[in-house]
Amino acid sequence: MKPLPQRSVVIVGGGMAAGLLARQLVHQGIDTVVLERGGDHRAEAAGRIPTQRDELRWDIRLGLMQDAASETYTLRRSRPEPSRPMRRLSAFLPGTGVGGAGSHWNGQVWRWAACNMALRSHFTARYGQDAIPADMPLQDWGVSHEELEPYYDLFEKLFGVTGRAGNIRGKIMPGGNPFEAPRQNEYPQPPLETTEAGLIFKATAEREFGYRPFPSPGANSTGTYVNPDGMRLGACQYCGHCDRFICEANAKGTPDALLYPWLERQAHFELRRHCQVLGLDYDRAAGRVRGVRYLDLITGEEYLQPGGVVVLAAFTMTNTKLLLTGGIGRPYDPVKGEGVVGKNFCYQINSGISIFLRDRWLNPFLAAGCTSTIMEEFDDDNFDHTGLGFLGGGSIGVGVISGRPINARRLPPGTPRWGTAWKRANAEWYAHNCAIGVQGSCYPHRENYLDLDPDYSDAFGLPLVRMNFDIRENERRVSAFCTGRAEQIARAMGATQLGPVVPRTSPFDTRLYQGTHITGGTCMGADPATSVVSPRLQHWDSENLFVVGASVFAHNSGLNPTGPLAALALRLGDDIARYVKNPGHLS
Amino acid sequence: MNLPRDSGPSRREFLRHAALAAGLTSVSTTLWGTEAAATPSQLPPVESPATGYLSLGPEEAAFVEAMINVLCPADELTPSGVDCGLAVFIDRQLAGAFGRGERLYLRGPWRPGLPQDGYQLPMAPEQFFKTGLAAADAACREQHGRSFADLETTVADSFLSALAEGKIAHSRMALAEWFNDLVYPLFIQACFADPIYGGNQDKVFWKMIGYPGLPAVNGLNMVKYRGKPFPGARHPKSIQDFS
Repeated sequence: MKPLPQRSVVIVGGGMAAGLLARQLVHQGIDTVVLERGGDHRAEAAGRIPTQRDELRWDIRLGLMQDAASETYTLRRSRPEPSRPMRRLSAFLPGTGVGGAGSHWNGQVWRWAACNMALRSHFTARYGQDAIPADMPLQDWGVSHEELEPYYDLFEKLFGVTGRAGNIRGKIMPGGNPFEAPRQNEYPQPPLETTEAGLIFKATAEREFGYRPFPSPGANSTGTYVNPDGMRLGACQYCGHCDRFICEANAKGTPDALLYPWLERQAHFELRRHCQVLGLDYDRAAGRVRGVRYLDLITGEEYLQPGGVVVLAAFTMTNTKLLLTGGIGRPYDPVKGEGVVGKNFCYQINSGISIFLRDRWLNPFLAAGCTSTIMEEFDDDNFDHTGLGFLGGGSIGVGVISGRPINARRLPPGTPRWGTAWKRANAEWYAHNCAIGVQGSCYPHRENYLDLDPDYSDAFGLPLVRMNFDIRENERRVSAFCTGRAEQIARAMGATQLGPVVPRTSPFDTRLYQGTHITGGTCMGADPATSVVSPRLQHWDSENLFVVGASVFAHNSGLNPTGPLAALALRLGDDIARYVKNPGHLS
Repeated sequence: MNLPRDSGPSRREFLRHAALAAGLTSVSTTLWGTEAAATPSQLPPVESPATGYLSLGPEEAAFVEAMINVLCPADELTPSGVDCGLAVFIDRQLAGAFGRGERLYLRGPWRPGLPQDGYQLPMAPEQFFKTGLAAADAACREQHGRSFADLETTVADSFLSALAEGKIAHSRMALAEWFNDLVYPLFIQACFADPIYGGNQDKVFWKMIGYPGLPAVNGLNMVKYRGKPFPGARHPKSIQDFS
């Protein structure tokens, strides 16, 4: 293995979290190298017209995603059961290449409600000492919303986020999210246009129920925009090819559009592509990580990249994997309820109801990743949970994001699966349907965790990460409750017909895409007995090792995780800049 | 840039007769190749150069063509499935990266699982498709005394329903999973994917539902046609139209 010259900060993974924290470091003149396993996709067929608009290649065949033949994950729903690999990635879709999954995301950017940062304290204060079940290891994150607010603000400015503020410095603003935590500033750009389905949903929810829906915030640029680094975005063209696609119009805020091109023009920064990280070189006695071992996919040789600071900023699963394979920190033991690495693995519990409106032209192809209309009345602890028998909730909304015809068609129940009648139903309903969706929270469960699979390995000879996961009782109740609320609105929308109302339940189904919002495994917190990293994201056992990404979340909410992920990454950049100048335990 | 070309059912019907007149047995596989020779001066060039099959043998092709024409019969909405290119699409997918198991984790140990665990067999999709085809045809011969390709349309339709509903038993093969998880998704993709893959010829399925295709630059349309019929839906454009 060839050693290389030491760098100040070595970051594993070239996605959203890495790009943001590198941006903070480089602004402060700190030498930084990012190791990314993939290459650039923007100049390839994926980023150019007409080939960008290829649903089969990028959506159905997952042309931009992690290659499951090389690395996937296994699942077992209970410990006695043997695991099975997800031989096709379907339920969640990690990216690969510069920008990571952030290169081809929808762009939805949320600030999570303030209670999420201290959820155990919040529930205990509101509902009493016994409110949290013994098998639900909820914990405070050790950071407050107020500490994150300036970083949310910075992220919104860097990515040209669109939306309508709901709460500016404590004043509730009409048209925004009334449950929003106080923010200092309005969004950098106004919201995108609302879809016809969104207008119907909004009018119904307001008129019939008194709910307050609002346009979903996100990184689809309303107009031309220049960010604080001088990076530009064009105006969204509502083409309906956001998630799973690269935006050829440069209208989507992504790391590969806004962060890495700027970073690569700065001194002291290097993005090293096609470098597959294999492990960490850990000096247990010293409590330090010496560097990162990687395979250079271009030369075929292994290298050791020494670093003064090492940061794990890869996909949720990979952060956990590298700690487990490196023997860094105590692995979680579900029997004893001890150990930390792999603990608090969470997903999200999503469901939806198809709505068919014969006389309304809903034109699903006039859409973008952030043209949803959302309400927050039943998310988090925005409603009284007394007597409900569960904790958590979900966002509810009409999420029209695409009319792509293979995947985005809906047909009324009872439609034959083929033949002339099937064709007639397609012709009749394609432009006249939408769906109400629920994005439900997922709180940790003692038996939901990650470890290394003893039987399956990846293309590099490393064990696959094993998901020990199922949808537990609390989440089944959340889904039943929120899906029921969604059904009430759907029925009031004047539907000709509704699709089946099916709350999410066990067994967890690996075949259905349920969002790439998986969290936990390396969670943060103020107590080393229950967390992998400190509130500053510094590893408790290895002072110069930091971890960032949704893997540090201690639970998952009913909103997309990128907002808090980005705020934590930007804050970490500032923290590591401090550490480089004055090493030690950060408080 | 090629201009969009129209080649509707009537032209296909003409080609069918031309092919039959030339003594060709497998109409669909020779359609495109015979066209230029048939009437070079009167007809516009064909939209797809697809000729013949890469993966499917003759008996397999006969099964697939018969099945596709049941799933998509010629009617007022589209030509027959074969004339829409659906069989060619499936053949090309099986012969290509998908059929060979691209993005499919094919390492052991092998453990049967719940349906919710997804595909858990060591076979790549092309192999699985063909194994299922043979098993389904054997079951058909046992039940009806004939190959699937030789069934009356209504009988073939009922047989496919029975397959989908898990009513066709086979000693080794879970035929319902084969049909529902591999065959049926390929059929849907054949209908609605961009015509550049060989199916959805003339964008006939996009026209049927009103999907406008490319370029989908809708900055103004988003407001102008919100809640109204979208004019571009009648004349969809595909990748080829912009290549």
